[in-house]
Amino acid sequence: MKVIVSRSGGTAGIRLTWEVRVEEQPDPNTWAEFLNSLPWDDVTDSEATPDRFAYRIRCAPHEVVLAEPQVNGPWRDLVNRVRAANGM
Amino acid sequence: MTKTRGCNVGGRCQTLHMDTRELHTTCTIVPPYLLVRLAKLDDPRFAQAAAAARASLLRDSQIRQLRGGAHPFPYSGARTLPARTPGESDRTISDAGGQERLPGRRVRAEGQPAGTDPATNEAYDGLGATQNLFWTQFGRDSIDGNGLPMDATVHYGKQYDNAFWDGERMVFGDGDGQVFTRFTISPSVIGHELTHGVTQFTANLTYQGQSGALNESISDVFGALVEQHVKNQSTADASWLIGEGLFTDQVEGVALRSMKAPGTAYNDDVLGKDPQPDTMAGYVETEDDNGGVHLNSGIPNRAFYLVADALGGNAWETPGHIWYETLTGGALASTSDFVAFAAATADTAARLYGNGGAAHDAVMRAWATVGVVAAIPSPLPQQPAPPPPPSRPGVPRPPE
Repeated sequence: MKVIVSRSGGTAGIRLTWEVRVEEQPDPNTWAEFLNSLPWDDVTDSEATPDRFAYRIRCAPHEVVLAEPQVNGPWRDLVNRVRAANGM
Repeated sequence: MTKTRGCNVGGRCQTLHMDTRELHTTCTIVPPYLLVRLAKLDDPRFAQAAAAARASLLRDSQIRQLRGGAHPFPYSGARTLPARTPGESDRTISDAGGQERLPGRRVRAEGQPAGTDPATNEAYDGLGATQNLFWTQFGRDSIDGNGLPMDATVHYGKQYDNAFWDGERMVFGDGDGQVFTRFTISPSVIGHELTHGVTQFTANLTYQGQSGALNESISDVFGALVEQHVKNQSTADASWLIGEGLFTDQVEGVALRSMKAPGTAYNDDVLGKDPQPDTMAGYVETEDDNGGVHLNSGIPNRAFYLVADALGGNAWETPGHIWYETLTGGALASTSDFVAFAAATADTAARLYGNGGAAHDAVMRAWATVGVVAAIPSPLPQQPAPPPPPSRPGVPRPPE
């Protein structure tokens, strides 16, 4: 099981991708529970606005695209955790 | 998410066989001779564009607001009294203090002296440079053409790697310190963000696919012009870089983008290579970044540089005027694609600087070079002078 966060856009237009392989984490069960608890099916489309980030989050079978203002609550938590696991 | 009509749906673009009827609705490759002919003819589309652009020259900001897609923002009464002189800056810089709440604490208002915080000072100066370019060169009074106060927030978020225009204000992050330094450091980035506001109040190009890439390119064009104007650099002297100085020393790269040579701004282990194409042959089809708006903007960016390079001098003069009048003149639809924009700039150049003149020619050739229109034929060689008639028997030769 792995989760991939890809951030595109921003005024730089540079795409950065962070990936976590759950089995390789010190707490894989916590990760799995957290990933399963995310509101994957509740994501709605949002208006594109200039130079904001867009986040594509993949964790098979799920894939969602979030505009930057939508990255809050558990999604914000996920992005922060994935970046932290990648040392950023 | 807003989807655009025509070729931009799903961020994909197909190159279709040219059909003039599709000029403004789909992505087509129109041969330049046809564009020239359309510009010369009394085509109703161009006539309307010309009339609309002439109307905009009257600079009736109220009419502009009615036409534009954006709504004016409410003023605080205290800030609009006493009556302000048109063209004067009205800047307010606020400090978010590392939070993501806007606007933050007000730290510098118009006319107050510089403080010790570089981000605040750079934002204040960058907003002023942008107002100065648009007012002195194009007669545009602030973002909305009607003296909208210019507001900015600095120190937004923690290690925030971005700057953006949120529809009402500029927002600047401090960068993460590893890849990016503070986003106020580059006048072209400040001009870029504020130009998103100008576009919002004028052509209101949909931020998806080709119209989105045009929205991005227009911000790069005027961002570059803000920087060149404040540094008094001619086309030959300018770097044509967007975001110069934004990377830390750890990054192998000079800037975010190069308008002169898209695809060459950086080549780094972490960031990879600058992915911008410089012609339509490299057009990137992707679902990320709203259909690659920050990538494919390289194509119209280079077209603008090529116009400036062909004409020489200061890019904010003839090239800047052609782009500004095209953006604000009413000829663009919110879903305009590269071909429609190319036709509109050619029409503007012909109208302002003469049909078949140097500016018109430079615009046509620029779009051909980047592959938005088919290769333009070289000027037809002049017919060689007919050789003197051979002397024929029986015809008296003129006296020697």
